[in-house]
Amino acid sequence: MTDAALQPLVQTVYLIEDDASVCEALCDLLESAGIGVQRFGSAEEFLGSLTADMPGCLVLDVRLPGLSGMELQTRLAETGIPIPIIIMTAHGDIPMVRKALKAGAVEFLTKPFQDSELLEAIDQAFAADRARRQAESLIRSISARYDSLTARERQVIEMVTDGMMNKEIADELHLSLVTVKLYRKQVMEKMQADSLADLVKIRQKLGSVEK
Amino acid sequence: MTIRVERLSSLTMEYFARPLAIAVFFVLVALLWTFAFQHVFAYPFVFLFFAAVMCSAWFGGFIAGIMAAAMSSFLVAFFFIPPVFSLSIAQEYRSYVTAFIVCAIAITTVSAARKRTELAIRGSRDVLEAAVEERTAELQQSNAEIKESERRLRLLTEAIPQQIWRTDRSGSIEYANRDLLQYLGISVEELSGDRFFEIFHPDDAASVKANWGEARGATAKLEVKARVRGADGSFRWFILRANPQFNEAGAIACWYCVHIDVEDQERAQQDLLVSQERLSRFSRTLSMAELAAAIAHELNQPLTAILTDAHACRRWLQMEPPNLDRAEVTADRIVRDSTRASQVVSRVRSLFSRTDYIREPGDLNAMIRELARLLRDEAMRRKIGLRLQLSEEVPVISLDRVQVQQLLLNLALNGMDAMAAVATNRSLEILTAKSSENEVQVTVRDHGVGLSNETKEHMFEPFFTTKQGGTGMGLAICRSIIEEHDGHIWAEPLDDGTAVHFTLRTNA
Repeated sequence: MTDAALQPLVQTVYLIEDDASVCEALCDLLESAGIGVQRFGSAEEFLGSLTADMPGCLVLDVRLPGLSGMELQTRLAETGIPIPIIIMTAHGDIPMVRKALKAGAVEFLTKPFQDSELLEAIDQAFAADRARRQAESLIRSISARYDSLTARERQVIEMVTDGMMNKEIADELHLSLVTVKLYRKQVMEKMQADSLADLVKIRQKLGSVEK
Repeated sequence: MTIRVERLSSLTMEYFARPLAIAVFFVLVALLWTFAFQHVFAYPFVFLFFAAVMCSAWFGGFIAGIMAAAMSSFLVAFFFIPPVFSLSIAQEYRSYVTAFIVCAIAITTVSAARKRTELAIRGSRDVLEAAVEERTAELQQSNAEIKESERRLRLLTEAIPQQIWRTDRSGSIEYANRDLLQYLGISVEELSGDRFFEIFHPDDAASVKANWGEARGATAKLEVKARVRGADGSFRWFILRANPQFNEAGAIACWYCVHIDVEDQERAQQDLLVSQERLSRFSRTLSMAELAAAIAHELNQPLTAILTDAHACRRWLQMEPPNLDRAEVTADRIVRDSTRASQVVSRVRSLFSRTDYIREPGDLNAMIRELARLLRDEAMRRKIGLRLQLSEEVPVISLDRVQVQQLLLNLALNGMDAMAAVATNRSLEILTAKSSENEVQVTVRDHGVGLSNETKEHMFEPFFTTKQGGTGMGLAICRSIIEEHDGHIWAEPLDDGTAVHFTLRTNA
């Protein structure tokens, strides 16, 4: 639909695990499944190489030296980094699972786990990441299109999406019906909307961003 | 009758015979000497008779004097007054004889009176002397008593196995007993004034100074605990108790203070605290699921690696064409991680079966008493009574003190846990008995919830537990301890509660 969504997205698993054997095994498994991995020995190490845009998901152990997995989750949520998180633990208890999932973790895996459990969780996390990215880029392009509208055109788009007839708009803005029809055509073109329904959807997306 | 006769004879003796004899004796002496001197003088020489009368009255009393006077008068009249050898008296001598008789009577009276006075004086002097002697003796006695009690008091303060000091009015120490000086290894001068505070531990000196100042300010009793440096430089805990002493005017006369050595109590208290802390730490470890979680974590890590490797390995092999190189590397890791997992298992095992246990002679009854002391607070907190019934026949046994202590503690805590939900008869009993020639039996009996058949069957197996959050290791450890001691352990369900028995060999 948009050019951003069409771009091939390279997603990576950011693995934070202090146990060398487990870390090696997980890297090997992900490699065999064709998934790129970047490994970190601790939460601090990960935070040190944190950038604004990290496509993919985080796979981390609860028990880590220094900052624990749960604390890292809280820290990321606070700094507004919306990367999906898969949490692993060797001794998961129910309250901890509940807390992690409530805080936005995609999946909670109790060690040891089957490869399918992890790969499915990663698929799900990647999908969530992709969906979020698409939504973001869509909103970005809509905003750009909206910015290209003139003040008059913006008035027209609001009135049209509010369900007003062309005649009513003409009366309201003291314009001729022909002029209104012309504005309306220009708006539809600039906003790349095929129908009125499309335009209403775009307007809703814009509204949610403005809010 | 006889009494009267005796009385009569004694009266006769006193008032007649004795005065008569005295009078006759002196008068005869006077007569003989008068005969001897008569021819020397021209007139009748009768003065010696006056001497005889005087002596008779002196020695024989008034009666003897009168008798001597009468006899003398007759003898003078008969022998020396002309006409001699006749009682008749010449006219010119009558006044002479009369004068003689009057003088003799007067001498008698005077002499007797003198004698009586003398006797009276002597009598009262004797009485006086006796009284003085008596008083002197009394004084000496009381003096000796005072000295003795003083000596005893000094001996008491010196020899009493207690450290004592006394201050002057200003509160500076002026006397310290031998025990205190010996302990401190200094002289009393080194205690005077502020130098007194130098005997305390630097950390305590300030508090002693503050308390002592406060007590003196309020003239109230002082009680303060502090470490005091001994002659050897080491410190011991003391309680100092001082009381003010007032004079008649109500002002401070001095202070008396004792130093009471409480080092041993203090140390026992410390030991008890340490033991209790150890106990609570131990029971906490046992009651929490931490141990299980730690083991689970330790094992789950290599298991995760193995499982993940296995999956990866299969994926490399399932590829078209199979990636054999990667599959081999992954398989190698499976081998490595499996070894690691088995190491974890053996480490956990060694945690529960110590191989370096020590055997030494131990008094089982004493160990149980020690345990009861340790558990006292915990039992009180849980409102459980502890009762010991220890047989004196139990001999000293060769055992691993730490392990057996742990075993006893475990059983006691289990018993207490079993009574947590029971309202009546919350008492835990520990009994010892000599069950056979070379075996003693210990029983830990509770009045708790009792045993189900399933519990009885499996309770000594590892990971079997009926407790929320229990590890199921406690009784398994108990059994392994007992087996190491070649003993047996078993449980007996009772009508109200459970008895856990174990035996230990006395000849092991």
